[in-house]
Amino acid sequence: MFERNQKTIFVLDHTRYFSIASEEYISMEYLKGKQTGLEAGANGGTQFSKSLWTCACESSIEYCRVVWDLFPGTKHVRFIVSDTAAHIVNTWSPSTQNMSHVMNAMVMVGVPSMPQSSDSSVIHGLRAAIEALAEPTDEQMQAMGGKQTLHIPNEGRVICITSARDNTSMKSLEDIFHTVLVQQNSLMTSPPSKKGLPIDHCHLVILNIVPLGVESLVTNRSLLEISPLLNVEIHTVPAPDISYKLTHLILDHYELASTTVTNIPMKEEQNANSSANYDVEILHSRQAHTIAGGPDFNLPTSIKTGSTYETVTLKWCTPRGCSSADLQPCLGQFRVTPVDVTSRPSSCLINFLLNGRSVLLEMPRKTGTKATSHMLSARGGEIFVHALSILRSCMDEAPAIQDGPGGRVTDYRFGELGQLIKLSRMIPLKAKDPSHPTHSTLRRRLPRYFPWTTSSSILFNLQRQINWLPHFLHLLVKEDMDKQDEVRCQQHIHELYKSASRGDMLPFTNSNGGRLKLSKAKDQYRLLYRELEQLIQLNSFTPHHKNLLESLQSLRSAYGDAPTKSESANALLRSYTESPLSPERLEPTSSSSSNSLLKARKRRMSTCGQRSLFDIISSAERSQSNKRLDFSGRLCTLPGQVAKLYPDFGNKDKDSLVIAGGVASTTASAKEESIRG
Amino acid sequence: MPTIIALDASLSMIRPIPGRNEHTYQSLAVKGIQNLLDNLAAAGKLEHVALVSFSTVTELKVDFTRDYEQIRQAVKKIEPLDKACFITMLQTVVQLMASWGSQNILQLVVFTDCGLGFGSTSLSGFIEAYTGKESEAEYGWLKTLAAYNINIVCLGLHADHYFTRGLTVYQQLLDVAHLKGQLFTTKPVKQLVDGASNGGEAPSTGSHKSELGRTTVFELVERLCESSYKSTEVTLKCGSYFRMETPVLLWPPTSHEPKLCHIEPIIEVRGFLALSDIGSPAILSRHWVLPKFEREKPTSRRSGSMAAVAKPPKLDINNPNYEMEKLEQDIRDFYAKDSKEADAGESGDDADVTIVLKHSSGPLQMEQQKESFCVLLHGALKMENMAALVQLADKWYGFIYAFNDAKKKSNLMLNILPPGTNVIPWLGDLELLGFTEDLAPGETASFPVRAERRSYSQSSVVWIRQASLQSDVQKVLRHAKKMPDKTQHFYKELNRIRRAALALGFVELLEALAMLLEKEFAHLSLNGASSECTMQLQHAATELRKTSNRDIKSTIAPLQKVGTGDSSSGTSASTSTPGYLY
Repeated sequence: MFERNQKTIFVLDHTRYFSIASEEYISMEYLKGKQTGLEAGANGGTQFSKSLWTCACESSIEYCRVVWDLFPGTKHVRFIVSDTAAHIVNTWSPSTQNMSHVMNAMVMVGVPSMPQSSDSSVIHGLRAAIEALAEPTDEQMQAMGGKQTLHIPNEGRVICITSARDNTSMKSLEDIFHTVLVQQNSLMTSPPSKKGLPIDHCHLVILNIVPLGVESLVTNRSLLEISPLLNVEIHTVPAPDISYKLTHLILDHYELASTTVTNIPMKEEQNANSSANYDVEILHSRQAHTIAGGPDFNLPTSIKTGSTYETVTLKWCTPRGCSSADLQPCLGQFRVTPVDVTSRPSSCLINFLLNGRSVLLEMPRKTGTKATSHMLSARGGEIFVHALSILRSCMDEAPAIQDGPGGRVTDYRFGELGQLIKLSRMIPLKAKDPSHPTHSTLRRRLPRYFPWTTSSSILFNLQRQINWLPHFLHLLVKEDMDKQDEVRCQQHIHELYKSASRGDMLPFTNSNGGRLKLSKAKDQYRLLYRELEQLIQLNSFTPHHKNLLESLQSLRSAYGDAPTKSESANALLRSYTESPLSPERLEPTSSSSSNSLLKARKRRMSTCGQRSLFDIISSAERSQSNKRLDFSGRLCTLPGQVAKLYPDFGNKDKDSLVIAGGVASTTASAKEESIRG
Repeated sequence: MPTIIALDASLSMIRPIPGRNEHTYQSLAVKGIQNLLDNLAAAGKLEHVALVSFSTVTELKVDFTRDYEQIRQAVKKIEPLDKACFITMLQTVVQLMASWGSQNILQLVVFTDCGLGFGSTSLSGFIEAYTGKESEAEYGWLKTLAAYNINIVCLGLHADHYFTRGLTVYQQLLDVAHLKGQLFTTKPVKQLVDGASNGGEAPSTGSHKSELGRTTVFELVERLCESSYKSTEVTLKCGSYFRMETPVLLWPPTSHEPKLCHIEPIIEVRGFLALSDIGSPAILSRHWVLPKFEREKPTSRRSGSMAAVAKPPKLDINNPNYEMEKLEQDIRDFYAKDSKEADAGESGDDADVTIVLKHSSGPLQMEQQKESFCVLLHGALKMENMAALVQLADKWYGFIYAFNDAKKKSNLMLNILPPGTNVIPWLGDLELLGFTEDLAPGETASFPVRAERRSYSQSSVVWIRQASLQSDVQKVLRHAKKMPDKTQHFYKELNRIRRAALALGFVELLEALAMLLEKEFAHLSLNGASSECTMQLQHAATELRKTSNRDIKSTIAPLQKVGTGDSSSGTSASTSTPGYLY
């Protein structure tokens, strides 16, 4: 996690010497756009040169441009300017780890201008760099978690751009650095420890720069292990070439690779009809090349003129209806940044990608055919190279889902589930309320009852035919059902009951239209009730749901279809006997149902004693909501006595006996109950 | 899982099996291969299988195919040639497998009598030559081979010392070359078996005759399938409805994936994302999500949300799941009868029986007719072009979507993302995904999650190449010529250059630019340009040279009014915020 490249510190020599010219002259005529070569403008006064300082500054800033483009927030670069003292340009804090901060701070630094003095040296900067290495980054702080004792890996790299007279002075620089490094670590381990981390290892890169054409007495030296703590390498570079040197070094420092996208067709400004082909070189993690390897493939490499590293050349494939929406089998995605960010070809490619189009990149196979091995695409304002899986995969041919289990069922409710899916589309949140964890959210969003097919549901099949049904179903699944909702639902249940009593057929569309037998109609309602009951059972959040469930169960029993678990779910007809909406014609078409109705009422009475407090309160509540007067017979009769029906009618009509008997029996059983209780 | 079946075609394979005159080693091996193919076919014919025979030379008989009939035919025609040369076979296998990507699990199944070969090509000779030279390029192919799953079905009798010695050497090869291999051997009759045989745990009660035969070979194949061809079984859960919780098979199996993580037995959908939002992120592996067909009653693993009505599971008539199953069956029967206008009686009670009957008869057809959540989810996802984000384990996610292949065939696929919650930069932290209701009032959110601006999406100044310096300067000069129309642009570009030059300590450029502007001034005034233009040029040149302006906060402002040419008006400094270069 804490690799050597997560901390890099540039130490820039800001001594007087760095204000001298790099001796690479830019002619004024050239700047104006006259096509005179650099040499042609050699007549004095019309040409100028960058200073050594400018060369050092721009190349190190370019280095961190690449780092921050490719590894935002994870790899850190700091700058320390050294003259008579060390000047800290930025810290490890993320707010200063960006280009604008560094550039603005550099304005304050300016060209070295103070007179040469004995105490101006790069040593100050190197000392400060070691201290900076000991400072933990935010990530390291986090890993420590406040525990000072915990050992956190702490390695880093110091890139020092300076100019030394000869090998001896270089050696002394090296020695001082090593001594300070050891000192710093002993400081860390000694008891009065400052806030800081011991440095496990440091890689010191010294770039010795000289003006163009000047011979340096310092010899180049490749990586040398000075001690287990320190590796040093030394490069002498003419100032104008320092950027190329750093571009080369950065490849190894961050394990980057270069890809050149070739054959990018671009319209010329002058000649809009024709297009010329351009190349754009990009940098990205080396893995983008290695991850997809196979013996059949050799990434074609070349070395660009002037550079010292290899670049992989991949051919641009003109996008053919390939939007970035297409899901490609991707082995790895890596951020990219152009090597030359300001060139016209680069910015053309970048804008093309940032506008949302993606580009496939082709490479030749050994067999002569081609394979699209990579894809460039931009997302969220960042450009990525995707290494695609180009070798054969056992996933290439899909087993058709139709041939698998369930594949031949034709009436899945795709559309309905699709709607639910669309409603449960996720979005990125800034922060999450811990008291409101999402895992429960999808569970709460998706319905608790969702038949997979239209042929396994009566309710959802009828939704389109019965216009009040969708609203009814909506009310039923409400988590916060209130009294009003319940009343409405009760009304709907009652509606159903009425149409069942009338023997109305349910309006199925896939029914063949012919008149169904009566028993068939009964089946319809039975199933409908059963399904409704399931639905409510699965959604019973409130007492109101429970009430509805009870009404429904009583309805089912009235229909001669006793719920399987009748005891707990009091099979009541309460809502129909007590409700003001009680129909005039209670008994359904068949007399057997009427019997069962009576039985149900009986059962209700017999279970009275087991009524819970909740039942009592909820029924009291319900009766309170009754605005219509109760059956006068009941109102005028004392409890325990039998109400006399049709007192004016005399005893002629024996038909009334059925009903009277019914009432009598219920009251009788109620009496029994009270005795028992 | 691409599979190469390698059949030993050495002469020793045509030896009759002692006590079993109807079988030779080869005929048994062929039976074993047929049985393996039967097993693979029963599992959905998903595996690509190739067939090679090996003796001195290794011959590819059938290239990778899902048409197992080709292999069945070809395997019968294999003629034994000379001696076994195991190493040549392994090398050929590496070549043949090369066309398959690293994300595939590569399988090699060898049927052999464990002959060691002779002379220079013998197995023991190879091991001898190899030891000590592991890192030499000559043996590089073994590194590739080490990624394969090697299954060696060893046909032989434990009483046969030639065979048991063979087993030891084969195991030695696997160990020495660090190959992921397994030897499948029959159970020995007696316990006097050397430790090399993996299978030899318990003494078999059978007679000598039963030690090697059709049944025992089938047993070996079964063990092989169990260990190498078993799909991963998980429960896919989506929402709280218990039927949206269904057992599925992930093919190819996921067991070979990063050892650090294990997929939970229940993977749950967390929400849905548009495929266009997901894009093409890096994935660890891809798997088909296939419905696992329950031969017994549906599982009744219920979430706690329905604890109030929860009942003991299975076969209990009061079990709500059971009731639901029954209801759905009744409804289906109702519709079925509705369309047939057939017998309308007692639909409910025999439903149970029908289910059982359906399962026991014609499994494939019946399975296709039975509803599956995978098909439902597939259809809905495909219709909406969306994917379901599933959590595989703590801080590990994947997404399920409808995958279409080149032939327009489609199925449900699971793409497993690398472990972690921040694996797709443009989706942000996957644990921070939520629904619109979770937003604070007035807040909006949408994909992609935008990163900070990178250098390429800002107007960067990099003058490492002189051409880019040239183009920046030319831009200023172009605007200069078009003043006063372009006065604002002129100063904007001028300040951009000036600020970059200051940051880089490139004061030489400021002087050069001032000179260029003066030249332009001289040139333009000769050609009778507007006085406004020339005034501005002169003003700009003066301001560029002023050392007092070498400050981050100062900005060169246009000369306000021609005539009231107070030069101090030039620097309307401190109020303007410092512009950024990058």
